[in-house]
Amino acid sequence: MKTIIVLLNFLLPILYGAAVWSYAKAFFSNSATAKRIKTPLLSLTIACHLLYIVSRTLLFDHPPITTIYEILSVIAFTTAVAYAAIEFLTKVKSTGYFVLIISFFFQLISTLFIRDLPNVNPVLRSNLLGFHVTSALLGYSAFAISAVYGFLYIMLYHHIKSKQFGVIYDNLPNLEKLERMATVSVISGFVLLTVAIIVGVVWLPMAFEHYSYFDPKLVGTFVIWFMYGIGLLAKQTIGWQGRKIMVLSIVGFAVALLSLTVVNVFLSGFHNFY
Amino acid sequence: MNLVLIGINHRTALLDVREKLWFSEAELPPAIVQLRDQFFSECFIVSTCNRTELYGIVDPQKSSLANESTIQAASDTLITLKSAFPSVRHEHLYQISGCRAAAHLFKVAGGIDSMVIGDIQILNQIKSHYNLASGEQTTGVFLHRLVQTALRVGKRARTETTICEGAVSVGYAAVELANKIFSDLSQKHALLIGAGETGELAAKNLTGRGIASLTIANRTRSKAEDLVKELGGNVVDFDRFEEALRATDVVICSVSSPQYILTPEQLQRVMKARSNAPLLIIDIGVPRNVHPDVNNLENVFLNDIDSLSRIVDQNLQRRKSEIASVNAIVLEELVGMRQWLESLQVHPTITDLRDFFENVRADEVRKHINRFTEQDKELVELLTKRIVNKLLHLPTTNLKNGDGESAEERHKKIHIVRGLFGLQKKDSVGNDNNQDSIE
Repeated sequence: MKTIIVLLNFLLPILYGAAVWSYAKAFFSNSATAKRIKTPLLSLTIACHLLYIVSRTLLFDHPPITTIYEILSVIAFTTAVAYAAIEFLTKVKSTGYFVLIISFFFQLISTLFIRDLPNVNPVLRSNLLGFHVTSALLGYSAFAISAVYGFLYIMLYHHIKSKQFGVIYDNLPNLEKLERMATVSVISGFVLLTVAIIVGVVWLPMAFEHYSYFDPKLVGTFVIWFMYGIGLLAKQTIGWQGRKIMVLSIVGFAVALLSLTVVNVFLSGFHNFY
Repeated sequence: MNLVLIGINHRTALLDVREKLWFSEAELPPAIVQLRDQFFSECFIVSTCNRTELYGIVDPQKSSLANESTIQAASDTLITLKSAFPSVRHEHLYQISGCRAAAHLFKVAGGIDSMVIGDIQILNQIKSHYNLASGEQTTGVFLHRLVQTALRVGKRARTETTICEGAVSVGYAAVELANKIFSDLSQKHALLIGAGETGELAAKNLTGRGIASLTIANRTRSKAEDLVKELGGNVVDFDRFEEALRATDVVICSVSSPQYILTPEQLQRVMKARSNAPLLIIDIGVPRNVHPDVNNLENVFLNDIDSLSRIVDQNLQRRKSEIASVNAIVLEELVGMRQWLESLQVHPTITDLRDFFENVRADEVRKHINRFTEQDKELVELLTKRIVNKLLHLPTTNLKNGDGESAEERHKKIHIVRGLFGLQKKDSVGNDNNQDSIE
């Protein structure tokens, strides 16, 4: 099993690289071969990544969420899965490059620096925690994807406004579809983050004797959750649409990323394990 | 195979000349029957607003003239059939024969010979006009194969290249633009301000693409009502179109007016009333009907005739870059067609060769059979047949499987075999044109 892990760890960035390359080739140079192989290549990559995560979990007897590099690999995986789900549901196959490039870089960093940790904090050997972390990461991946679609929306919006009818205009899906994809991603992210928060709150008293609901990461996460909630509410009630709501999806993700980084780097609490 | 093409198209003649040689579906059957009876073993005509082309296989038994003279005579008949003299003259027609004629049809089917590159609507006409000819029994195995291959070229050009992609008319570019903003036009509403000709054309494109509803506002209300009868939809008074704008997603303006009929202030009010939902404005009026600053408003997309022309130009450019890929398909299919023709020749050659040997054997056996006893006669028959079969086995196999050899070599080999055994007289169909180079 150790051999499989080593091999897959080496193979995954190559597979992600190949997938990103084929999506880019299909988008920018309209290559027929790339168009044909890109989705099967992504499916193969996801299958290998799943095998990698399962193998790690079995061999080291804990879900791969104990170091930042394990987490990065899981984020790469969840982002790819979330994208594949969107591609499958919307049948829009042209935007993969912009999303999968995230997975590629995250997996590359993970592959280069990941170390095997046989002895981990016993607190982290919990299935409930695995569920908590998985849903939180899937949620953040969905927010990241919505930000990507928000970004693509704004790019296409400006191309149409300034009458640049080039590659972007030709190959991106229409504005309404991009907006819907971003919205579906935000809603999925919001639901997943809600689940992560609920599971986290349930798990917290079981795992720690001394804990506080005012821990910086908890507060940060709650702020992010609240912010997206307000945005979704505004879309529903005031009827915000188009560019404004797409800018919000990007700002939302930027704030989420910033708050998580600040909390992790500068503040400490029970929620820091690495 | 003596394939000839006599045709007229947008390159060789202007519309007022071309239309003189246009055949309606009712005129086609008698014309092709007459042409077949006079000159061809097989023929069919494809006739559209941009071209009329006659494809035929010259039948040497029907015409004692040389090939060129036959083509001239057929051209004359074609013009006479439509009484198109003197409007249509010989210099308006092109005459191509052999592989080049086949290549021409394939290029037409692949959309690279059209007036607008990539326009392959002609495929339907080729199909239906061929079927007409087929109904009149003026076609045979060769034209069937030729048209079948041409239709395949068209299909491959559409699926394997992007020669047909992108709008190449201003009206269609407007629809393409709407499709880049909205995902489902059947849920969107359009407003046409000004019932002029260009506006009408753009509105027709939108209704053709299934827009949910069309509202027309025109200074002369009766003209708008006339248009509504044709396109469907409803009419609003010209001075009340601002109200209609609130429920509209696509606006087409084509009013002759010295000043702007849509201003940023007006649009600001409208956008507020419609919760800022995206609005596409196509301004095809000259001078412009919509103040250019309107484009600065959020979720308002203003496009004029220039930006639509730019889309058209870019798409045409892109289609042009696909010509090489379509040419490659044409070449591939030509090679396939030629191989098919050759296989047609190999088999008659083998049959002729076997017939020749069988005749020699039967003759000799007949001459000498009486020298044998009744008992041996059957044995002689069997024995001689076996010898002939054994002798012919290797040459037959070699003719059939010309593995690795070029078409030219194979052609030469068949030629030698026919010469050696004196099979020329039985030569299936004239070989000359098959030696045409593929261009």
